[in-house]
Amino acid sequence: MNEILNLIGSFLTSAVRQAAPLTIAGIGVAYAEKAGILNIGEEGIMLAGAFTGFITAFFSGSLFLGVLGGMAGGLIISMLHAFMCVHCKTNQTISGLALNYLTLGLTSFLFLLAFGKGSSLPSIAKLKSLPVPLLSKIPVIGEALFNQNILVYLVYLVVIVSCIILYKTEWGISITAVGENPGAADTAGINVYGVRYLMCAVNGLLGGIGGCFITLGQLGYFQEDIIAGKGYIALVAVILGRRNPVGILLTAMIIGFTESLQFTLQAKGIPLPSQAFSMLPYLVAVIVLLLSFGKGYDPSALGIPYDRNKR
Amino acid sequence: MNKNKAARILSYTLIVPVAVLIFCLMILLVGCDLGDALKGFWNGAFGSTYSIAEVLVKASPLILCGISVSVGAHAGFTNIGAEGQFYMGAAVTAAISMYAPLPARLLLPVSMIAGFLAGGIWAMIPGILKARFNISEVINTIMFNYIATGIVGILLQTVLKDPKAYYPQSSKIPKEMYLSKILNGTRLHSGLIVALVCAAFVYVFIRCTYSGYKIRAVGQNPRASLCAGIRVRRSIIFSSLLSGGFAGLAGVCEIAGLQHKLMDGISPGYGYLAIVAALLGVNNPIGIVIASVGIAILQEGANGMQRAGSVPTSISNVMLGMLVLLILGRAVFEKRLAKKGAHRV
Repeated sequence: MNEILNLIGSFLTSAVRQAAPLTIAGIGVAYAEKAGILNIGEEGIMLAGAFTGFITAFFSGSLFLGVLGGMAGGLIISMLHAFMCVHCKTNQTISGLALNYLTLGLTSFLFLLAFGKGSSLPSIAKLKSLPVPLLSKIPVIGEALFNQNILVYLVYLVVIVSCIILYKTEWGISITAVGENPGAADTAGINVYGVRYLMCAVNGLLGGIGGCFITLGQLGYFQEDIIAGKGYIALVAVILGRRNPVGILLTAMIIGFTESLQFTLQAKGIPLPSQAFSMLPYLVAVIVLLLSFGKGYDPSALGIPYDRNKR
Repeated sequence: MNKNKAARILSYTLIVPVAVLIFCLMILLVGCDLGDALKGFWNGAFGSTYSIAEVLVKASPLILCGISVSVGAHAGFTNIGAEGQFYMGAAVTAAISMYAPLPARLLLPVSMIAGFLAGGIWAMIPGILKARFNISEVINTIMFNYIATGIVGILLQTVLKDPKAYYPQSSKIPKEMYLSKILNGTRLHSGLIVALVCAAFVYVFIRCTYSGYKIRAVGQNPRASLCAGIRVRRSIIFSSLLSGGFAGLAGVCEIAGLQHKLMDGISPGYGYLAIVAALLGVNNPIGIVIASVGIAILQEGANGMQRAGSVPTSISNVMLGMLVLLILGRAVFEKRLAKKGAHRV
C-alpha cells in the first residue's frame, strides 16, 4: 500500500513539474490574446527565456539572476512581436513564426559562440526544492504540490493574481475591452496601443519564466531547440483553458499527467509508441475547438491590428 | 514615377544591404575571416555541380510547399500546416509501396494521386472547420502538424515498420517507384520538374481561370464575394484541398525521389520554411520558385561556411527570421518615406 502511495506521489510530483512552465507561459499568452494579440511566437519567447536564463545563471552563478535574465530574454522577443503587431500592424501569425526562426537560430548561434563545440554540455545546479512546512507533510498530494522549487510557487501566485486582475479589477475590463472592441475602448479613453504593448510585455516576462523553468528548474543545461514544441503546447493549454488562468492551470496539469504517465510507462518497458501520448493534447485541442464553435470564446479582435485612423 | 512607387522600391532595396550587413557582422562575431567564410558560402552553394544540384534538391519540396501555402493564402486560408500535409503524403506513399497490390509501373502515379489527396484532405479538415464553423485555421493547422507527425511515428513503429531495420523506418520502396534522376552523380531528381510544373499550373490557375478568380475574390473580400453570388465556403474549402494537395505531393516526391523510405523527421521543417518562401515570393509562383532557391542557397551556403570557417549553420535561421521581420517592418518605413516625399512636393 505504502509503495503504491509513493508511486502516485512521485507521479504527481513529476506531473506538477511538467505542468508549471506550461501554466505560466500559457497565462502570459492569455494576457496578450485577451488584448487581441495572437502570439504564435510563444515558442520563441520560451526559447529565449530558457537561453538567457541559463547563460546568466551560468556566468553569474546565481539562479536568482538567472530567472531575471530569463524574464529579460522573453521580454526582448515579445517586445519585438509587439512592435511588429502594434506599430507596424503586420500579420501577427507571420511575425510570430519569424520570431520563432530568429530565436531558434540566434540562441544556438550565441550558445556556440559562448561555449564552442565542446564534447560535454555546460551545466549548472538546478533550482532546489523548498518544502513548505506542514503543507508538504499532507499525504500523497503534499509532496507533489508543496515540495517543489520556488518557481512552482511563483506559478501558483501568478494564477491567483491573474484571476484577480482579469476578473475583479478595472484593468481586466480594459484588457478585455481592447481585445473585444478596440475602437470602442479607444473612444472610452483606454490607450489601446499602450494596453497591447503592456500585455505583450507581461507575455514576454511570464513566457521567459516558463522558458528558464525548463533550463534552470528541470534540466540544468541548454542545447539547441531545447523547448521542442512546449511553446505550442502552451498555446494548446490556452485554448483548452479558454484563456482563464485556472482553466490553463488545469489543462496544463492534465497535459503534465499524460507526459509523466508516458515516462512512467516507458520506464516500465511497456511497448506503447510514445507518440500515442504526445499527440493526445493536440487531438483534444482540435476536438474542443470543434465543440466550442459558435460560442465565441475568442476575443473578437484577436489577430486584427488596430488602426486609429480607420473607422 | 510616382512617389509611392519610388518609396516602395527604395524600402525593398534597402533590405538587402541591411541583411548583408547583419550577415557579415555575425560572421565577424564568430571570429572567422570574412573572406574565408564567404568563399565557403560560395563553395557550399555553387562550388560544384554536386552542390548546385543539392541546392535544387532542397528547393524542390520548398517550391511545392510554398505554392501550397500561397494557394491557401489567396483564399485567406492561412496554411501553417504544410508540414503535416507533407507527412501525410509521404506516409501514403510508403503505405502504397508496401501494401498496394498494383503492377509496379502504376505504383508511382497512384501514389502521386493518393499523396495529393491525403495532403489535401489533411488540409481540408481545418478548411471545413474554418468555412463552416468559423474556427481559426491558424491554430488548427498547427495542431494538425503535430497530429500528423504523431500518426507517422505510430505507423512507423507498427504497420509500416521495416522488420529488418533497427530504427523505426519503412522498408525501401521498389526501384520502379523511383523518380528518375536528372543529373547522374548527384541526388537531383525529377521532383524538381514536378514542382516547376505545379508552379506553372498554379500560375495559370489563379490568374486565368474562373475558379482561381473566385478564390482570389474570396480572399480579398469574402463579404463582397458572397454578395456577388460566389459560394465563399466552397471556395475556401476547395483552396484548402488544393493547398494541402501540393504539400502532400512534396512528401510523395521526397520519398520517391530522394529518401526512398519513410522515417521520423523526414522533413527538416519544409512546411514552416515554405511560409517564409511564400512571403518572400509574395504568393506569386515565380516569386516562390526564386525565393525557394534563395532559401536553399542560404542553407547550403551556411553548411559550406561551417565546413570552411566553423560558422554555426544556425546563421541561416537567424537570417530567415530577420529577413521576414525586415520585410514586415518595411511597410512602416515605406509609409514614412512616402509622407516625406509628399511634404517636399
